Amino acid sequence: MSRPDHYGLAQRLTRRHFFERFSDGICGTALATLLSRDVYGASIDSSDGLPEGHRRMYDLKPRAPHFPPKAKAVIHLFMNGGPSQMDLFDPKPVLDKHNGEAYFDKVAADLTGPEQAGGLLRSPFKFAQHGKSGMWISDLMPRLAEQADRLCVVRSMFTVHPNHEPALFVIHSGRTLPGRPSLGSWTIFGLGSENQNLPAYVVLDDPLGLPINGTQNWQAGFLPPVYQGTRIRSVGSPILNLRPEYEQPSEFVEVSHDLLSRLDNIHKRNHPGQMELDARISSYELAARLQLSASDALDVMKEDDATRALYGVGEEPTDSYGRRCLMARRLVERGVRFVQLYINSQIWDTHTNLEDGMRAASARTDKPVAALLQDLDRRGLLKDTLVVWGGEFGRMPIAQLGGNPRESGRDHNPRGFSLWMAGGGVKPGMTYGATDDLGYEAVENKVSVTDWHATILHLLGLDYERLVFDQNGLKEKLTSVFEARVVKEILA
Amino acid sequence: MSLNAETRDECSVWRRFATMAACAAGFVLFGAPGDPAKNPPAKPSTFEADIVPILKNRTCLGCHGPGLKMKELNLSTYQTALQGSESGPVIVPGKPDESRLLRMVKEGLMPPGGKIHLSDEELGTIRGWIEGGAKSASEPHAEAVISKVTQDDVIPLMLLRCTVCHGLRRQEAGLDLRSKDSMLKGGKSGPAMVLGKPEESLLVKRVRSGEMPPKKRLIQVGVKPMAPVEIDKIARWIELGAPIEAEPPDLAATAADPLVSQKDRQFWSFQTPKAAEPAAVKHADRVRNPIDAFLLSKLEQKGLSFSPEADKLTLMRRAYLDLTGLPPQPSEIQSYLADKSADAYEKLIDRLLASPHYGERWGRYWLDAAGYADSEGGKLDADHPRPYAWRYRDYVIQSFNDDKPYDRFLVEQIAGDELVDYEHAPVVTKQMMDNLVATAFLRMGPDSTSEREVNFSDDRLDVVADEIDVFSSTVLGLTMKCAHCHSHKYDPLPQRDYYRLAAVFKGAYDEHDWLQPLYIKETTVIRTKTQGRLLPYVTPGKTPYELAEEERNREDFNGEIDRQLVSLKSSWEEKTAPLKKKVLGERFSKLPKSLQDDLRAVAETPAEGRTEVQKYLAEKFAATLKVSSSDLKGADPAFAKDEEKFESQTKLLAAKKIPDPKIQALWDRGEPSPTYILRRGSPSSFGPLVEPGIPSALVAGLQPYQIKEPWPGAQKTGRRLALANWLVQPNHPLTSRVMVNRIWARHFGEGIVKSLGNFGHTGAAPSNQELLDWLSVEFVKQKWSMKAMHRLMMTSAAYRQGSAVTPALEKIDPDNVLVSRMPLRRMDAEVLNDTMLQVAGRLDTRMFGPPDPVLVRDDGLVTPIESETGWRRSVYVNQRRSNLPTILDNFDFPQLSPACLARTQSNVAPQALHLLNNATVYELADDFARRLEKEAGSDARRQIEQAYWIALSRAAGSEETRVASEDLLKLKQAAVKAKSADADHKALTAFCHTLLNSAAFLYID
Repeated sequence: MSRPDHYGLAQRLTRRHFFERFSDGICGTALATLLSRDVYGASIDSSDGLPEGHRRMYDLKPRAPHFPPKAKAVIHLFMNGGPSQMDLFDPKPVLDKHNGEAYFDKVAADLTGPEQAGGLLRSPFKFAQHGKSGMWISDLMPRLAEQADRLCVVRSMFTVHPNHEPALFVIHSGRTLPGRPSLGSWTIFGLGSENQNLPAYVVLDDPLGLPINGTQNWQAGFLPPVYQGTRIRSVGSPILNLRPEYEQPSEFVEVSHDLLSRLDNIHKRNHPGQMELDARISSYELAARLQLSASDALDVMKEDDATRALYGVGEEPTDSYGRRCLMARRLVERGVRFVQLYINSQIWDTHTNLEDGMRAASARTDKPVAALLQDLDRRGLLKDTLVVWGGEFGRMPIAQLGGNPRESGRDHNPRGFSLWMAGGGVKPGMTYGATDDLGYEAVENKVSVTDWHATILHLLGLDYERLVFDQNGLKEKLTSVFEARVVKEILA
Repeated sequence: MSLNAETRDECSVWRRFATMAACAAGFVLFGAPGDPAKNPPAKPSTFEADIVPILKNRTCLGCHGPGLKMKELNLSTYQTALQGSESGPVIVPGKPDESRLLRMVKEGLMPPGGKIHLSDEELGTIRGWIEGGAKSASEPHAEAVISKVTQDDVIPLMLLRCTVCHGLRRQEAGLDLRSKDSMLKGGKSGPAMVLGKPEESLLVKRVRSGEMPPKKRLIQVGVKPMAPVEIDKIARWIELGAPIEAEPPDLAATAADPLVSQKDRQFWSFQTPKAAEPAAVKHADRVRNPIDAFLLSKLEQKGLSFSPEADKLTLMRRAYLDLTGLPPQPSEIQSYLADKSADAYEKLIDRLLASPHYGERWGRYWLDAAGYADSEGGKLDADHPRPYAWRYRDYVIQSFNDDKPYDRFLVEQIAGDELVDYEHAPVVTKQMMDNLVATAFLRMGPDSTSEREVNFSDDRLDVVADEIDVFSSTVLGLTMKCAHCHSHKYDPLPQRDYYRLAAVFKGAYDEHDWLQPLYIKETTVIRTKTQGRLLPYVTPGKTPYELAEEERNREDFNGEIDRQLVSLKSSWEEKTAPLKKKVLGERFSKLPKSLQDDLRAVAETPAEGRTEVQKYLAEKFAATLKVSSSDLKGADPAFAKDEEKFESQTKLLAAKKIPDPKIQALWDRGEPSPTYILRRGSPSSFGPLVEPGIPSALVAGLQPYQIKEPWPGAQKTGRRLALANWLVQPNHPLTSRVMVNRIWARHFGEGIVKSLGNFGHTGAAPSNQELLDWLSVEFVKQKWSMKAMHRLMMTSAAYRQGSAVTPALEKIDPDNVLVSRMPLRRMDAEVLNDTMLQVAGRLDTRMFGPPDPVLVRDDGLVTPIESETGWRRSVYVNQRRSNLPTILDNFDFPQLSPACLARTQSNVAPQALHLLNNATVYELADDFARRLEKEAGSDARRQIEQAYWIALSRAAGSEETRVASEDLLKLKQAAVKAKSADADHKALTAFCHTLLNSAAFLYID
């Protein structure tokens, strides 16, 4: 299945939809006024001459980007807890040499548990080069290593806070505080969605529990609520209130529906020119479509056995995450703009038991993630789907609680961490930036979270400076007041 | 060595030298400009000879001179020029490309306006001067000037990094580092500094060695270690002999700030509103009060008049939902219809204003604007509960019901703690307690500082920033947010204004002397870790003896509840034991036989009675032995419902406890630390010192901001009281305008100024300034009575218009800017919820008190828990930020971080899904049907008619009746066919459910 051309279609679609909806009522002049009002979103630059720059109506109709995009959809594989860079993508032989030496004073101010600081800790995992690109990946992720030539690893990420909650807010919405729109919200605020039967921004969280900060990770903040992420559960009823939670004779459904639509039409007839009522009726129509299409889109049983096996569906420990990765593919295939995947608790938060913890976390995700890349590629979707993998910060080169990697772990480290991107517009097989010899601090080609956000928007055809929302006189942006840079070097 | 700015190579060589020299902190290497005989024309450029003429000639000093210091930049003297602006240094000696000054003029950004450009020659001169080390004729070295350090560079560093242990509250080792004198005095180990000898000074030694601040304690006390440049600065200060320089007085604290020009002050919203005479209009018959005349005159200019008046019942439903958030009961409708007097409508408005439901509805708007929540929110996932915030909610509701004058309402909320000496009062009065409860207005923003990881200076400043944000947008109608980091780009709000306000709040919110909010463990058991920012609530009029008795009674009562909670829990455990056993049994059966019996024995033995071997097994097989609630749900589908019921019972029971007598308050602590401007808002980058004050653009005819001792001998700064008094002057240009505009917006859908919290340049211009100003003056004239404003607005002809949109209106007034009709509106989240409850007869109208608990289902659905008496109104439901009731969340209840002045209105599928599928909504439909059966009997037609009266406050139209009758019949037939028990009732429920889903129900004409 291939997706429609979002960029070109956006404008055509909107106009046609518009006429369809309004052909039954309003006379010519009124129509002209309405058209000029950007009712069904033709452009992103939102001011409309309105004082606070708000659009007149907020919806999910497709909107044209600022410039032709490289990526049309994003799958964000969020790795809760802060995966350890020096155990995955950023080998540090110097740590082997100085294993056990004291380093506390240099990092004290960044530690969340200074009482437990130990000496430098070497990685217990073996690194090797993979693919034509010779990318370094540790033996924790053998399947992903086979996909090395599709990855663009950024080793020089840094963030601003060593605690999970603020760091999660930063990675999702640009600042350490709640109340700001997430990356996904900004994306669909800018671009809308190609599929009006499914939510534009889908969150696939782990049935075992919400990540830190809960639903605030996909909040719309000060953007209208229509732009918040919709949580879809991978077991049971996928959306809140998707199915009736009460018993009634099945014959009732049709009659009730008929009654509602007849009553609403009478009301609409008595209220000519009230657009709000049209929008409401269409929201009921979408609700009805959602009840049908959500189940279909999310039903991994519609895939063949081989595909399910590829993702590790039906086997442990990959079944749960494999399902979500496969659902993510089915969703972007259907035109969903932004899909975000979570794992329960903080599997990468390896304060203790570094070795076992990292192995367990990798075992749950390596196969599904590698499968997602492979599957997207063979369906021709990878070229315009941006897959991003990463956590909220990295980890310390020193040990926490002693120095035996079977017992001790690593504390949080905001000064340097690795993440990768693949597909839609990034250079494949690239390793960008560097941390210092110990992996403590990003030193070469540093990339802030703000830069990373600006780069993702850029790949989606959005200019981070122009994607704004007026909030109490401030032109708010995803990058907030921070200086941002599109990391051109990693663009394909 | 020669210096020739014209030859690049030599120049760069010099630059390298200069850099090296600067690194070595040498100051006398380049004293002589070289041998004049060798290099006759090469006279090094200086500030006085080469730069000052350009600055004068190009009028730079007009803005960046000693008078204005725009952006905190003063270029008039060498020294101040090198100090830089609010964004940091503008001249970096030797580095022209890093010098902001050169960049701004080169790129044509300065002088502003684009008319004046510096010539290439001038640019060359500036470049050359900076390249040449940015020298002065009088001062030999820029470095010397830049490295000039005074107490204002050092004291803020002490406050930031040291005084938490060596300052106001604690003097560890007898040391106080808050002033030069106290540093010289030192502590147990001797003086902290030896003037002129930094490396011999204990302060420098201890900090340089990394001993101080102690690394292992950093996180406990919320301090970051000192950066090397900061230590250098302290060392340099000591080296210079710890010079103290008197700051020039902060002008705006007493008079108008020169940064804000006369023209700035001319902006419309900074002028005192004047009431104009309403213009004469053609359709004088439509004028019921001056509001109408102001609106009509504009409408008539466009050839329009008001829309026809809405019919009596439409108007009734509108007024009810508008003022009380609940529809009228059928009996009220009948008596209103029977009232044929000319002023029946006016009497209706008076009745509604007297209803206690009015405060619940309009108080809620104020709670939005204050950012009310029952949890701390902020950066922590835990989202700790705020167990005493509800007192503030009650205060607000009561104040609205009492029609407390708005000026008094503001004063109490901004400075209630500085009004009366509550600490030494012989008798505690209700007013005293209200004053303190009211200060929670400034405690409503998210506050994460209850935990140490997020209790650093910047986290604390975030709390202050949110409060300033709430205060300035909600009360003042200005957005001060930008000025946190730099001077406002569009409004005349220099950065100093922001920090003056921060200084006003500093008596209570001092980031260097911080009180954490209360730390609460979990909802059922309230445990206090610290005293927190709380004051005791003393029941007014009670004697100490009675108070002690009150406490005993509370303990007894709560102790009884605790006992009931324990017994509830144990009976629940007993009930679930067999299921648990079954789950374990299935698990054990997969293990080797030899283990099974041992593990079973472990499972059946309570932890304290286990043998050593059993303890070992319990640890080894912890995962096997642990049975989670999701395991139980997997084993028995009915378990989930049972568990929900148990949780609901537990929470309802716990909610019955009598709350501790505490107030979430804000109070002045009398000894604030000094306030420095923070460059770029960064907590460690200090600019000049400021005094408390108000935005300097707002001076028009006002009494200046003036601090007075609140009462003789008060241990309070009186800063916030001065702010409150300044604010409520009758001729204040913003206070009354901002509030009447907000009342207007709630009645008419949009504000006269659309941007409710922004009356500045970036806000919207008023659509009808004469009207706004007339209303503002009237508001003050009516003694700031909000009820008077409602009465005025709601009895206008404008408010009584119908909502029909005609093609002409759509063409001429598409946005309804002229108020040519009333807008069709969707019910607010709470109105929808509360109305459904009332329609179903399940609304519990009890007011006030601790919030009602909610149930959070595994899939995230949040539902208020019903008590024996029904559900109370939404305003009384727990407003925990992370767990808002789903129905409110779906219908645009705002995320209050920090506050909300205008709710957005979305129209999305989850709303439809909620009303269609949610179990609670269906349950209410079921109750609605029962109510119909009771009130209208079994006749379908009468049921339909009564349903319309109850839900829509009107008779069903003939077509509606026909359609409804047809489908109700079909539903009944379907129910019979499905052999459904109670077929008629099931069918009627489906009809009621549909009605609750209909547009006619959800929208207000």
